[in-house]
Amino acid sequence: MSNKKLLIINGPGLSDLSNYSVLGYDDLSLDILKQKCKVVCESLSLKVDFRQSDDESALLKSVMVDIDNFDAFIINPAGHLQSGSTSHDIFNSIISKISSENKPVIEVRIENIFKHEGIKPMQVSDSGAGFIGGLGIQSYMLAIKSINQKISN
Amino acid sequence: MNIYVINGPNINLLGTREPEIYGKDTLDSIAKTCNDKASKAGHSVNFMQSNYEGEIVEWIQDAIIQKVDVIIINAAAYTHTSIAIHDALKSYSGYKVELHISNPHLRESFRHVSFISSAVDGVVAGLGADGYYHVIDLLSKLPIKIN
Repeated sequence: MSNKKLLIINGPGLSDLSNYSVLGYDDLSLDILKQKCKVVCESLSLKVDFRQSDDESALLKSVMVDIDNFDAFIINPAGHLQSGSTSHDIFNSIISKISSENKPVIEVRIENIFKHEGIKPMQVSDSGAGFIGGLGIQSYMLAIKSINQKISN
Repeated sequence: MNIYVINGPNINLLGTREPEIYGKDTLDSIAKTCNDKASKAGHSVNFMQSNYEGEIVEWIQDAIIQKVDVIIINAAAYTHTSIAIHDALKSYSGYKVELHISNPHLRESFRHVSFISSAVDGVVAGLGADGYYHVIDLLSKLPIKIN
């Protein structure tokens, strides 16, 4: 039984996943997404917790308060679908904290962001950070499996 | 399902080329694991590598003719230069994933532009050689139209 703990951070805008109905997810909600992630984590004996807020500073606070309790991180910075752009600064401060402790981090995107002009992946200081996008909610499942392998080794 | 795994320039040097970035796995060992994973799941993999842009274009065209179900493409340095590979991928209507062993967006700025990304369904980067295996494992869960 692994005691490793994963934190999945969903950025501003991801409280409402109805935008993704165009991708063929008619009934997708954050709760359904979390449930599916939990099932995969349980099958890997990986503990998982989630943070989401549409308010950047509230999200940052909720992550930073117990960031030391987690061994690995999956981040969907999102934001752009509603606002055009979201500051990646909050994720940078989270990621510099994570990478200074050599903990793995993967950016995930439900959609293929490269099909939209102007949306870019996070530019983070951690050159080991992974990126998965465009695989729908399976982007999360792939990230969970990959990160589990990294922290199990 | 039938899968083409297409690898671009310098990937034949894996294991010896900057192992701190690309890892110690060789192309042969990656190919073998891909084949093993795929056959366990009932898929067949054609694992290819070329240093020549035109040959990669021809393999993508071949995938169109052969009605291959999935292309996993690591175009390596051609990712950042090749409109020809972009065009070939646009013509291929099967499921396609761009894959990189390292994360190009976190490396030199000349690697930040990809001509491949906008022509594919999904992008997986920075997971090491394991990225190939994870994508193959996941294929049965993705919305792939089988020919």
